[in-house]
Amino acid sequence: MRYSDFTTYDLLLLAQGLGVTIGLFLVTSLIGLVIGVLWGVVRFYRIPLLTPLITFIAELLKNSPVLVQLFLVFFGFPAFFHLNVTPVQAAVVTLSANTAAFIYVIAVSAIESVGREQIDAARAFGLSRWQILRHVIAPQAAAFSIGPLTALLVNQLQVTSLISVIGVMDLAKIGATLNLRTLKPFIVWAVVGLLYYLTAKLIAAVGARYETRLRRFSEFRGL
Amino acid sequence: MLKVENVKKAFGAATVLDGVNLTVSPGEVVSILGSSGSGKSTLIRCINGLEKLNGGRIAIDDFDVAKPKELAEARKRSATVFQLFNLYPHMTTLQNIALAPVEVLKRPRAEVEQEARALLASVGLSDKVDAYPAHLSGGQRQRVGICRALAMKPRYLLLDEVTSALDPEMTAEVLAILAKLAREGTTMLFVTHEVEFARQISNRIVFLDKGVLLVDLPTEEFFAASGGLAQPRIAQFLSKMKKD
Ligand SMILES: Nc1ncnc2c1ncn2[C@@H]1O[C@H](COP(=O)(O)OP(=O)(O)OP(=O)(O)O)[C@@H](O)[C@H]1O
Ligand SMILES: [Mg+2]
Repeated sequence: MRYSDFTTYDLLLLAQGLGVTIGLFLVTSLIGLVIGVLWGVVRFYRIPLLTPLITFIAELLKNSPVLVQLFLVFFGFPAFFHLNVTPVQAAVVTLSANTAAFIYVIAVSAIESVGREQIDAARAFGLSRWQILRHVIAPQAAAFSIGPLTALLVNQLQVTSLISVIGVMDLAKIGATLNLRTLKPFIVWAVVGLLYYLTAKLIAAVGARYETRLRRFSEFRGL
Repeated sequence: MLKVENVKKAFGAATVLDGVNLTVSPGEVVSILGSSGSGKSTLIRCINGLEKLNGGRIAIDDFDVAKPKELAEARKRSATVFQLFNLYPHMTTLQNIALAPVEVLKRPRAEVEQEARALLASVGLSDKVDAYPAHLSGGQRQRVGICRALAMKPRYLLLDEVTSALDPEMTAEVLAILAKLAREGTTMLFVTHEVEFARQISNRIVFLDKGVLLVDLPTEEFFAASGGLAQPRIAQFLSKMKKD
């Protein structure tokens, strides 16, 4: 057997890479979701100082390349703050923050898409701002946002591949390693691509399921 | 008593309510007539605290709506039925009705839901308890809107053109319910374009014209040649309404 042949051990490597990718994706999506929604709530309450600060941070995160943000955290933070940052830490911080910024945008537009007249009714009936958020806005905002949220998460899954450049052994990095050893780029990248594709499809399927459940109240007649 | 004293409301440079005075006592049905844009909806929105006043005072049973702490009390004593129903689309009929009594009045859910079912039965909607608003007709939606308000057991029911988004048949079905409420002694402040209906159920009729309350008269006097009809604006309004 030549050194460049595929072995069963390569399958294990791929599985491991896929695990790292999915793990990082899940962790950073969850952190991003919590932070992004919290930011949305802060904005709903129009908390002074905090609201413009969050909007500013989200603007920065949305309008600069993730790769640059990653380099800033991985190379910049240690140099500037004298912190020790491991590749995985840098990946978690960067991807979570980036996801949070986009989830913030989705949360804000979902909150704003709830009809003014319903909020008027709830206020006139004496519900507090929190009660209105919880009972009137949140369920509808969740239903509105599930579509864009699924699209974002599918995209964020692909974005995780960027972290391979700082040495995290994710699926893309394993692909690069296998490619160097076997010198069979077509097969390696086709397989890696397929694994990303299948994972993305899985995310989309989960999203679609939630969408049907959350939107059962609305009578969407199509266009 | 629901008291509106010298209320002023402006949107930017436009004065929409200009020194309005109005009192509604328990048991009374008071109708507000006036042409489009005269400030009727704005007056209702000032009473339920959705708009801030630029002057004057509104108090419901002595709770001042301009004071946040008292507004909460005022809102427990009044309930609004809206022109466009303003139901919560993600909630079933029953959930729409139960939300405020459970959350605001802190009443037990089981008890509230039992009452809600009875209310729905009283307006002929027993079979729509678990339906979402999107699956109801306009008339049915407004009947739910009325039940939602009644579930608060309000001392004052505020109604803002509750039939103007409905066709004649649905209008009749909603007006029949309001007539029954009036007979039962429900206190109502009733903004409407249904002049004939207002005449049948009201104790008093007030007429708003460009933000000014022109007259506040017992119903019979309002329609008497020497009373409201003596005012050219009102005569003009009523004859235009008859033509429509
Ligand atoms: N939020 C607002 N901002 C600016 N102008 C407003 C606002 N709400 C109402 N207005 C203006 O105030 C005036 C009175 O409006 P209002 O809705 O109270 O009239 P209305 O008597 O209820 O009329 P209609 O019979 O058509 O319902 C109108 O000229 C309207 O354009
Ligand atoms: Mg109006």
